[in-house]
Amino acid sequence: MTTPELTIPQTHPRVSATLWVGLVLVGLHVAIALLSLVWTPYDPLGMTGGRLEAPSWAHWAGTDRLGRDFFTQIMLGSQIALVVGAGAVAIGGAIGVTLGLLAAFASRWLDDALAATLDILIAFPTLLIAMLVVAASDEANLFTAILAIGIALSAIVARLTRILAKRVLLLDYITAARTSGTSWMGIVLIHVLPNIWPTLAVNFALQFGLAAIAEASLSYLGLGAPPPNASWGHLLQEAQGTVYTAPIGAFAPGLALVILVVGINLLADGLRDVADPTRSAQR
Amino acid sequence: MRPVLDIADLSIAANGKTLLDKVSLSIAPGERVGLIGESGSGKSLTALAAIGLLAPGLTATGAISLDGQDVIGASERSMVSLRGNVTATVFQEPLTALDPLQPVGRQIAEPLRRRLRRDGEAAGRTDVAAGVQNLLAQVALPDPLALSRRYPHELSGGQRQRVAIAMALACRPQLLIADEPTTALDVTTQAEILRLLAKLVADNGMALLFISHDLPVVARVVDRVVVMQHGVVVEAGPVGEVFSRPQHDYTRSLVAAARSFDGALEGAA
Repeated sequence: MTTPELTIPQTHPRVSATLWVGLVLVGLHVAIALLSLVWTPYDPLGMTGGRLEAPSWAHWAGTDRLGRDFFTQIMLGSQIALVVGAGAVAIGGAIGVTLGLLAAFASRWLDDALAATLDILIAFPTLLIAMLVVAASDEANLFTAILAIGIALSAIVARLTRILAKRVLLLDYITAARTSGTSWMGIVLIHVLPNIWPTLAVNFALQFGLAAIAEASLSYLGLGAPPPNASWGHLLQEAQGTVYTAPIGAFAPGLALVILVVGINLLADGLRDVADPTRSAQR
Repeated sequence: MRPVLDIADLSIAANGKTLLDKVSLSIAPGERVGLIGESGSGKSLTALAAIGLLAPGLTATGAISLDGQDVIGASERSMVSLRGNVTATVFQEPLTALDPLQPVGRQIAEPLRRRLRRDGEAAGRTDVAAGVQNLLAQVALPDPLALSRRYPHELSGGQRQRVAIAMALACRPQLLIADEPTTALDVTTQAEILRLLAKLVADNGMALLFISHDLPVVARVVDRVVVMQHGVVVEAGPVGEVFSRPQHDYTRSLVAAARSFDGALEGAA
């Protein structure tokens, strides 16, 4: 009798289709943003065509009311969206994770105080907090927009971090680690952060999308990067007056924003599955 | 000889409610002590208090001395070094006692590296890796190299408990606290883990505090038992004496229950 050959199931996480679609959509934006650093179809400020032209082979997304190429401006806008998204998530993540961990480890009254403060902050719309921060600074520029959105997002990150960390801290393996003499810092770095990271990463991606939308909103209101920075929000605002005669002006930057946010969210979903070995094994 | 753990008149209260009342318990180096009682009798609480891990909101009075150092009122910093050096704990549920996101080898490496540094031994990558393999072999896990790369969810319950024991051994503690280590396991695995624990405790000259509600299990691994009920020690003594001539009503009922269960099993067989 021959022994049947056993196949051992692969434990490597399988990269899902979600992750691929997300990577392609986000990668497209990153590629366009990088390309626009060195090359754009036209001079973004030059009058390269008639006013409010419809899309054509020469002008893929038409021209604006000053005759500037719209696709060029959308390409440049992706730079701003990505920079603001990454910057705001970095600032919001750093502040939020620190505050959240502090609250999770703090004595009860400090935790209660922090939790209440966060709840109040979260009750304010992200955009409103961002507007307040911009209003408090001398001038609106790209950096104030990043800082404002980052601060506004940090409350959400902090609350999530606090809840996730508190839940992990209750588990036996934390007690086990403490009984074997692991210090608090060791517990945070070795056990808490890796265990809350998959959920946090998904949330960061979500925040990235929110930040891109918030930046567009701030720019739409004239509180973002000042012209001639071609933020998508600014493009939308400029296109508002001509939305009936040349709808492509509002449609194109909106579509760019939607593709970026959807791509980021899909990427986050896919990454979560890779980051969590217990999930990948179940598939 | 100075006891490894000496608890004297330990009382613990939460919001005015007494959870432990004047509990005293002493464990000499190398001694194996069983702590018996039903759920909620304060067994695990006593063990957590002994290593200074009481939940916030609980107040402890009395004296706890771990390797000659006071535990009650000690700073977290001094407790961190004391815990790994003197004690290590094996918990009831091995799945939750292991970090789900780390390969088990890395989880054993962490306390091992700390212990090697503490003892002034070489703690390079290869030293630690060799130590992990050695520990996995000590707890009788097959194919240590492959196993150390697995995640907890890829192991069986018995294997996980062996990994948890290996983590405890990595600290080379003077006192091993085993909190219901076999309760979550099936009977066959239970017997294997008990044999392993008894062997390791003897081989390494560790003291053992074995917490359980299961009399026959306790009787197999300890020299002396302490029986608790409602946060009070009701009886203590050598295991043979307590089980053959129980003095307290509660101990008597425990022994009778265990006997009738055995009787029922024999009757069925």
